[in-house]
Amino acid sequence: MTETTVILVLVVVTALGFDFTNGFHDTANAMATSIATKALRPKTAVALSGVLNLIGAFLSVEVALTVSNAVVKIQNSDGTPKEALTADGGEALLLIILAGLIGGIVWNLLTWLLGLPSSSSHALFGGLIGATVAGLGWAGVNWNGDGSKLDGVVGKVILPAVLSPVIAGVVAAVGTWLIYRITVGVAKRFTENGFRWGQIGSASLVSLAHGTNDAQKTMGVITLALIAAGDWTDTKNIPFWVKASCALAIALGTYLGGWRIIRTLGKGLVEIAPPQGLAAESSSAAVILASSHLGFALSTTHVATGSILGSGVGKPGAQVRWRVAGRMVTAWLITLPAAGVVGALMWYLGDLIGGLAGAIAIFVVLLACAAGMYLRSRRTPVDHNNVNEEWDATTADTPREPAGTGV
Amino acid sequence: MSNLGFALEGAWKVLLAGLLLGAGLPALFALGIRSLAWGAGGDAEVSHARPNPLGTVLGYALFAIVILGVLLGITFIVASGFGKTISFDHIYPTIVDK
Repeated sequence: MTETTVILVLVVVTALGFDFTNGFHDTANAMATSIATKALRPKTAVALSGVLNLIGAFLSVEVALTVSNAVVKIQNSDGTPKEALTADGGEALLLIILAGLIGGIVWNLLTWLLGLPSSSSHALFGGLIGATVAGLGWAGVNWNGDGSKLDGVVGKVILPAVLSPVIAGVVAAVGTWLIYRITVGVAKRFTENGFRWGQIGSASLVSLAHGTNDAQKTMGVITLALIAAGDWTDTKNIPFWVKASCALAIALGTYLGGWRIIRTLGKGLVEIAPPQGLAAESSSAAVILASSHLGFALSTTHVATGSILGSGVGKPGAQVRWRVAGRMVTAWLITLPAAGVVGALMWYLGDLIGGLAGAIAIFVVLLACAAGMYLRSRRTPVDHNNVNEEWDATTADTPREPAGTGV
Repeated sequence: MSNLGFALEGAWKVLLAGLLLGAGLPALFALGIRSLAWGAGGDAEVSHARPNPLGTVLGYALFAIVILGVLLGITFIVASGFGKTISFDHIYPTIVDK
């Protein structure tokens, strides 16, 4: 095996690792409400979501090879890597991708540890931007596009992140308000049962859409790395094993369930009743599908959070924990730069050591960070058994529980 | 046009579609549940009115509309996976190339 091949293997493994964190980070987007209202048992919910993500990932036949083009200039418009970056056998490009992926994973794990639903796509883009700035300078980043369409970091990442939670929130608030108005006079037990079914249906739709959207990004990144290393040339198709492994990674991640984040979204923001759950998930599904129809890139996480907040605003007399929401918004704001800083640091470290040793070194740093955060999480475990415990009571009993400190 | 212009142009369309499908369909679903309760009568309603079969029929008709909406969503997800999209040019949805 050549040096490049070993680095390529590291990139593929890291990319699948990112896909896995993407899965468990985003289980909450679809299933937090169904778990909180007990429409589904926690384990059933994550299993359903995992299967739908798997199906969704296999459904994405279209190639998302140019995924990085929205934010960084490391690819030509047909998806092939820039020639300057592949001159030395592709190692320059592989190092940027590897460092960027590590930035994304580290940030995803940290926000998971804190129970904050931050956007996985922002983490990936942030990491790639940071690594590109470190490797190619500021000019390597596509900040604003060329003015002909919604493009660049501003157009594809920042503006949608500001607008999408507001849109989803308005839709969910209107939906919730309508539902409560319409069902006045119907016995509570009768409505709750009906709405649970509606909620499961709409949450399933969100899971399916997530699988098609998010797994594609990792497939694109891996294929880009394969092309850079000279192991693949077709820009119209991706290798089947890439598709299968990405689909499996995101589905397994989803099944594992990011219980800390599920807890924050399902119990922390709003006390969700089944009608609100239905309104929130329908709003998420509609906004996600409408945006992807109109080519308006957005993050599932931002939409889901906006919807859940909206369902709290729309129900008369419901309590919304704005401090928890504030913490989330803060996390969103720093996701991109923070993942970028990690990505840049990893690139500098890898470049300093150089070659294969550099790539192995930053991979080891990633493993150390991941292990450290996993061990830290064991001190205050959140799993399917305690995911639905009362939010405020937990704060009183275990004041060090990070997910509860914002209350 | 600047990025902000493009974003706002996309945003109001998403908002419109979102309100129609994301708030409209749940409202129809709620109407369906209300109709079923009207059909079931008795304990299903706070007023304990007598059952009315018309409510049951109406309820299932409303659910059918909601299910059509959901099927449209699934069709869109599957179609976009194959590089297709749904066109509303002829009012009723048709699958076309992206």
